[in-house]
Amino acid sequence: MLSRVADSLYWMGRNIERAENNSRVLSVQMIHMLEATDQQVLDRDWEEVLEICASIKDYYERYDRIDKDTIIQYLAISPLNVNSFMNCMIYARENAKATRDMIPDELWEVLNEFHLDQKEWQERPDTRQHTEQYLKNVMRTSMTAQGVIESTMSRDLPYTFIKVGKWLERGEKIARVLNVFCEKNRKEANKSTDNYYYWLTALQYLNGYDAYIKDHPPTMETKNVLKFLIKESTFPRSIQYCINHVKDAVDRIEGGKVSHYSEGLFAMMDRIQDEIAEADIDSMNMEELMKFLDHFQDRCMALSRAFSETYYLVEPVRVK
Amino acid sequence: MLKNYDTGIFFDEMIGNNGSPKRHYQWFYELVEQLTDTELREKHETAQLNFLRQGITFTVYNHTGGTERTMPFDFVPIIIPKPQWEKIEEGMKQRLTALNHFLDDLYHDQKIIDAGIIPRELVENNPYYYHKQVGGLDIPLKNHVFLAGVDLIRDENGEYRVLEDNLRNPSGMSYVFQNRYVMRQVYPELFFEHSIETLEHQFSELYNTVVSHVPENADPRTKPTAVLLTPGMYNSAYYDHVFLAQQMGMELVEGRDLVVKDDIVYMKTIRGLKRVDIIYRRIDDDFLDPEAFRPDSALGVSGLLRAYKKGNVAILNGIGNGVADDKAMYVYVPDMIRFYLNEEPIIPNVETYFLSDPERLEYVLDHLEELVIKNVGASGGYDMLIGPQSSEEERNVFRQKIIEKPNQYIAQPTIKLSRAPAYQEGRFYPCHVDLRVFIMNGEEAHVLPGGLSRVALKEGSLVVNSSQGGGGKDTWILTEGGHSHA
Repeated sequence: MLSRVADSLYWMGRNIERAENNSRVLSVQMIHMLEATDQQVLDRDWEEVLEICASIKDYYERYDRIDKDTIIQYLAISPLNVNSFMNCMIYARENAKATRDMIPDELWEVLNEFHLDQKEWQERPDTRQHTEQYLKNVMRTSMTAQGVIESTMSRDLPYTFIKVGKWLERGEKIARVLNVFCEKNRKEANKSTDNYYYWLTALQYLNGYDAYIKDHPPTMETKNVLKFLIKESTFPRSIQYCINHVKDAVDRIEGGKVSHYSEGLFAMMDRIQDEIAEADIDSMNMEELMKFLDHFQDRCMALSRAFSETYYLVEPVRVK
Repeated sequence: MLKNYDTGIFFDEMIGNNGSPKRHYQWFYELVEQLTDTELREKHETAQLNFLRQGITFTVYNHTGGTERTMPFDFVPIIIPKPQWEKIEEGMKQRLTALNHFLDDLYHDQKIIDAGIIPRELVENNPYYYHKQVGGLDIPLKNHVFLAGVDLIRDENGEYRVLEDNLRNPSGMSYVFQNRYVMRQVYPELFFEHSIETLEHQFSELYNTVVSHVPENADPRTKPTAVLLTPGMYNSAYYDHVFLAQQMGMELVEGRDLVVKDDIVYMKTIRGLKRVDIIYRRIDDDFLDPEAFRPDSALGVSGLLRAYKKGNVAILNGIGNGVADDKAMYVYVPDMIRFYLNEEPIIPNVETYFLSDPERLEYVLDHLEELVIKNVGASGGYDMLIGPQSSEEERNVFRQKIIEKPNQYIAQPTIKLSRAPAYQEGRFYPCHVDLRVFIMNGEEAHVLPGGLSRVALKEGSLVVNSSQGGGGKDTWILTEGGHSHA
């Protein structure tokens, strides 16, 4: 397979996953904001959403204050925000367009259909209801795309590159969400606030509430939630699960063998798996957890880079 | 369907002089009559949406950037009885054989120039004549044109004539298949009483044609690796490239995916470099290799021409074909057929005047309102004047252009291009049509049954190009000698 094509497939996987995850975060926040009464709390919540879905620094470079409608627009359809859902979906469609000869027609059609409908969305007034529908549409498109991928694609190289992109994106996003919530927890450790609301939100952001509550009815212990989202290897939205699947995927690409060119990549994945296994969540305080999550995010970036280099997805930088 | 349908002074594909359908359209006519107005309208919309959903689009560029558009589809097919089609087939093979001889001759001995049949300056002044780059080169199968698209029209007597040869990168083949596909999906009932040539085996024909061009130095022990080289997804014909690559199971590559090392072409894969033997390129000559052509080309591959000249890679269509398919050389194709094959052309040209001849020039300038004027280097319906439909002002602009550069233009009598019914906005009305026929040429020539019927959907318009509002129709070759079987 051509490196350029592999690169596009990898990024298509990432872009679709990113659009879905970010849409869910915004969608949950739009419901929560109805319940919030304290303006300060609300502003802080919006900052967190910005930090998870985009970059708070970039936002403040353009706008000088937190404004609900501005943020929603910025996150959903602003062309200025590289991670806006609209941009992610445009990139995903372009990735698909560049690999149309490799992917099922239905996959292209799902993304193309979203694109065609999107023009209508842009022309509608940005009411709450329309925004919610738009977010639903992003999530549904992502899920339909995954359905097509799972039900029609051979488990060969194109499939695997899409999946690596998806798992890496998801793993990183989980760490990012948890980081924000650990920070919040740390800051308010001396207040007697109810943690319940935080962790409920974190679980909802990551679409893990239903699965968690089945395992831990009906409590919302901080450490239980963290263990669930970090280490639960049967839950497809945990860090452990994502990393295991990246490893499986690379194993599949290499036919189970480690060669000289893939040595570094395998070593890195082993190290990450070990680090997750060794992390004793129960005995860690919030600072340590945040350090662990930061470290994991760095690892994800390094892994993404190593993966790209191993399969020539990026042009090696020429040394002058 | 024929209420208020007026064939006028034109030859109509479907309707005879007596106002009723021709024999080979009889079945079709009766089947359409059974559909209600609502059905027709709904089907029409479904068909257009189908193209959009599947992203079967071409990109039109203007000052604000590119827009993806679908080619409008019209469901009334062009039906051609077998005997007529056989004549077209023969005519196309003949024409292609002669053109191929011509190209090989031009880049070798130039016998046709020595014989005084084609003026030397016409060849040497042609901007697409690349003698410096490929003169004297022997290429696989001595074949310069592996795929040609020849545009045919019918005059007021129904006689087929060649309007234009496309020997470089003819596009539109994907539409032939998609038109048929959508037609079958949306109008299955119309196929009931007809027995028509299928398009099913055409991709293996095309693929076999591609891989028969094995370069001299390819490894004889392995199957040659063929790729389709596209300028990328922003190219207006990108869908065509995707579709053909997909159907033939060839890798779709861009210039940046290829690299030339020691005069061998490789593609960059996730496992390292892989040798490429045959390139079906959809990039024009001047962008192909910045070393040999335009140095500013970012689409091409440095060193490709060197690899080609060494016999390490085959490039299809050949480099330098542009010299044979411009509007000036077109005039000489019948002479080429006589010179190389010693035959009379089976499908004639449209009468054409050169404007370099002062006497002709004077005549043409006096009769602009009756003639069609074309720039010999332009295509896609650009820079052309259709006399009878032009304004005084437009004619003055062209008069000026012609006086400044008479060699740049040719004139043709306005042909009363044939018409066929088209269905738009709830009614049938006559529209001008032409037919692009695709000819594959490898060890032997093969003509794709049917081709792309293009239709000028704007009422009265003569321009069928998709970039200017033209649409497409399915083309049916009846297998039963013109008789429909029940």
